[in-house]
Amino acid sequence: MARALTVDDLKRRVQAEIDRHAGELVRITKSILKHPETGFKEVKTSRMVSETFKRLGLQPRDGIAITGVKARMDGAAKGPNVVVMGELDSNIVPDHPLADKETGAAHACGHPCQIGSMLGVAFGLTADGVLPQLSGSVTYIAAPAEEYLELEWRMELRSRGKIEFLGGKPELIRLGELDDADICMLTHTSPELKGFGIAETNNGMVGKTVRFRGRAAHAGGAPHLGINALNAAQIALAAIHAQRETFKDEDHIRVHPIITKGGSVVNAVPDDVRMETYVRGASVKSILEANERVDRALRAGALATGATVEIATAPGYLPLNQHAPLADIWERNAAALVGEEAIASIGHRGGSTDMGDVSHLVPTIHPYVGGTSGRGHSEDYMIEDFDLAVVKAAKAMAATVVELLADGADAGRGIVSGFKAPMTRKQYLALTTGLFNTQTYSE
Amino acid sequence: MKSVALRAVDAVRDDLIELAKSVYAQPELGFEETRTARKVSAALERLGMRVERGIALTGLKAVRTFSDDGPTIAIIGELDALRVPGHPSADPDTGAAHACGHHAQLGQLVGVAAALGAPEVAEGLTGAVAFIATPAEEFIDVARRLQRRQDGELRFLSGKQEMIRLGVFDDVDMAMMVHTSSEGEPGRFTVGGTSNAHVVHHVRFLGKAAHAGGAPWEGVNALQAANVALLAVNSLRETFQESDTVRVHGIITRGGTAMNSIPEEVVYEGRVRGRNSDVVDEVSARVERCYKAGALALGAEVEIITIPGYMALRNDSKLCELFAANVEAAIGPDTVVHRAPDANRGGSTDMGDLSQLMPVAHPFVTAATGSGHGADYEINDYESAVIAPARAMAMTAIDLLADGAREGKAVIAAARPPMTRRQYVTAQEERLRVVKYRGK
Repeated sequence: MARALTVDDLKRRVQAEIDRHAGELVRITKSILKHPETGFKEVKTSRMVSETFKRLGLQPRDGIAITGVKARMDGAAKGPNVVVMGELDSNIVPDHPLADKETGAAHACGHPCQIGSMLGVAFGLTADGVLPQLSGSVTYIAAPAEEYLELEWRMELRSRGKIEFLGGKPELIRLGELDDADICMLTHTSPELKGFGIAETNNGMVGKTVRFRGRAAHAGGAPHLGINALNAAQIALAAIHAQRETFKDEDHIRVHPIITKGGSVVNAVPDDVRMETYVRGASVKSILEANERVDRALRAGALATGATVEIATAPGYLPLNQHAPLADIWERNAAALVGEEAIASIGHRGGSTDMGDVSHLVPTIHPYVGGTSGRGHSEDYMIEDFDLAVVKAAKAMAATVVELLADGADAGRGIVSGFKAPMTRKQYLALTTGLFNTQTYSE
Repeated sequence: MKSVALRAVDAVRDDLIELAKSVYAQPELGFEETRTARKVSAALERLGMRVERGIALTGLKAVRTFSDDGPTIAIIGELDALRVPGHPSADPDTGAAHACGHHAQLGQLVGVAAALGAPEVAEGLTGAVAFIATPAEEFIDVARRLQRRQDGELRFLSGKQEMIRLGVFDDVDMAMMVHTSSEGEPGRFTVGGTSNAHVVHHVRFLGKAAHAGGAPWEGVNALQAANVALLAVNSLRETFQESDTVRVHGIITRGGTAMNSIPEEVVYEGRVRGRNSDVVDEVSARVERCYKAGALALGAEVEIITIPGYMALRNDSKLCELFAANVEAAIGPDTVVHRAPDANRGGSTDMGDLSQLMPVAHPFVTAATGSGHGADYEINDYESAVIAPARAMAMTAIDLLADGAREGKAVIAAARPPMTRRQYVTAQEERLRVVKYRGK
C-alpha cells in the first residue's frame, strides 16, 4: 500500500480529476440546459444522469420518487454517509430563450449546474487512491421536482397514489431514501455572486390551490343572473394585500398568488376561477399564521360575491437551517478556490427549497455559487461561467467530502454527533402530512 | 277666486322671497331647524294662523279650516339644509348649506297660505288646508340621529317619516310641494315621475389598535376591513340592472383616530337606493354581505345597522294634471314637462313615504344653477323658485276645494294608496335591523 496521503493531497487529486473531466461536466450541464423538463417529468435528464453514473462504474437506482436517481460510492472503512445532491427539474418560463417550445419549461434556476457539480464530485472521488483513504460513503442523489409548481397536476398524481408530497425531497424522505444520510449538501447557482455565498436560513412555505365557483351568465345580457368568480378572486387578492402590514419583518412572509384560470370566455360571467399561491415564511409558525389570514381573505372573496371557494393547502417546504459547522468546512474549501473575499454571507433568503426539509433531519448545507446572470425564475436568467458554476462548485463540495471522511472521518463524525435533529422522520411526516387541508366555504 | 289668490301672492311677493333668502342665509341641519321654523311660524302667525310647533322636534303645522265637510290638503315645505361645507352660504360651524333649495319651499308655503287666507277665497272653499313644514328631509348625520333615537327623541330618522308616525298626517287627505331643480330649461315645471326607495346603513368596523410602526401585526386594521368591503361592494355593480336604478354610495365618517395607530374603529354611512323597496332590500342584503367580507378578510368585527330609508314616490296623476294645468294658466303655455310614472331621477325623498298613504304631487321647478347637493347649487331665479310655485299650488288647492270640493273628493276616490299609517309604521320598523358579525 502506498504511503498515506494527506488530506490536502487527497483534495488536490480529487480536484485535478474534476479538472480532467471539466469538459464533459460542462457538456452534460449544457445538454440538460437545452432539454428542460419540469418536476416529476425529468425522464431524459434522469436517464442522462443514470448513464453517467454507470460510466463511472456505479450501480445507480432509477425511478426513485418517479424520476430520481441514486448511486453510492463506498470508502475503505465504515463512516458517515455524505449525500451530494443535484436537482433534475426546470421552471416554466415560456419566454426564456432556451424554453421548450411545447411545455414552456426552461432552466431559469440553474439546476443543470447542480447536476454538473454533483457528477463532478463523483468524477473527482474516482481519482486514483482517494476512496481507499476515506471512511464512510458518498451517496449521489439526483432529486426530482424542487420547483413547487403545476400544483393541480401534482395533486392529481397524489390522488392517483403516485406521490404523497408535491416536492421531490419530501417524497425522498417519505420513501426512506434519506434514512441512511448523515450529511447532505447541494450547491445552487445564484446571480450576483463573485464566487460563492451561503445563507443562514431560507423561507419555508405551504402551497395552495384555490378554486372559486360562481354562476355563469351572459355577461352582456344578464350579468345580474351571474355570480362572478373572478370578482371573488379579485376581492380575495385585495384582501390578502390588505393584511401585508401585519406580516412581521423577521417572519419574511411572502404571499404571491397567480391566477391559473380566470374565466372561460369573455362574454360569460366567470364561474370557475383558479389560483395557486405559496405562503412563505421563516418559521413554520409564521407560515401557518399567515396562511390563516390568507384563508380568511379567500373566504371573504366568496362571502362578498356569494361564490363558493375550495381551498386546498398542501405542505410545501420547511425553512432551511444551514448547519453552521458544516458550512464552515465548506466555506474554507470554497475560499481556497476563489479567495475569502469572494465568499458572501447572505443572511436570510426569501426563497424556499426542499433542502429545508432535509435540513430538519440531517446536517445540511445549501451553498450558492455565482456564474449566472439575470433574475432567478425569469426569462433572462443565464449561465455565464460554467467553470465557476459547475467545476469550482464541484471542487468545493468534493474537497468538503474529503475533509469530512478522510483521517478516519473524524470531522464527519464530529458533524454527525454534534447535530441535534429538530425532528425524526416520523415527526416530520406527521407535521407535513398534517398540513394537508381542504376546505369548502360559502355563506 | 284664483285671481284674488294670485293678487294676494303678489301683495306679499317681496316678503316671500325675503323669507326664502333669510332661511338660505342661516342654514340649519335636519331636526335642528329651530331658527328656520321660528321664521316660518312667525310668517304664518302674521297671516292670522295658529301654529303648532315642535312637532318631530322642529316641524310645524298650521291648519286653515274652511268647512268641516271637505278634504284637507297639505302644502308642504322642507325646513332643512344639507351639509356642504364648500358651499358659499355654508354655516362655518356646521357646514350646513341650502344646496338643495329647500329654503324656496318655505317661501312657497307662506305664499299659498297668504293666497288661501284671502277672505274672498276662503269663503268659496270646502274642507281645509294644512301648512306643514317638515324637518330633516335630507337623510344625513345618521350617527347623531341614531343617538336621538336612542335618547327617545325620535323613532324614525327623517321628518316626514316621524310626522307620519306621530299622526301629523292623519287628518290630511292629499299633499303637495314643489322642489327646485337645476335641470332642464329655466322656469319650466316638471310633473310626474318617481324617485328611488332607499335604506341607510350605519356600519362600524371594529378592529384592534396597535402601534402602526412598532407592532402593526398586533393590530386588526378596521380601515383595511372597510376598504375591502367597499371594493367588494363595487364588484356588485355589474349585477345592477339599469331598470332598477340602483345606487350604492356612502361616506366614511370615522376613518381612524391617529395616523400612527392601527385604526380600531371605522364608521361608514352608506345608502342603497333602487326603484322600489323590494329591489332595495335585495341589494341591501348583498351589500351587507360585502361588509361582512371586509370583516372576515381582516379578522375584524362589523356592526351593521340597517335603517329604514325612503319609499319610492308615487305621484298622483290626477293631482299632477291639475297642478300642470294651473302652472300653464299662471305662467303660460308649454311650461310643463310631463314625466312618465316610472321616470326616475335616482334621488329619494320622504314624500315617497307619504305617497304610500295618500295622493301626492311632488313637481319640480327649474330655478337653480349648478349641481344638486353640490357646492355650486344656487337658486338664481326666485320668481320661479318661490312665486310661480306658490301661485300654481294656490290655484290647484282652489280647484280641489271649490265647488263643494268636487275635484278634491274625486282625487281621493280615484287614489289607491297601498298602505295605511299602521302598515307603514310596521313595515318601516321591520326594516330596522342590527347585525353583528365577527370575521374569523
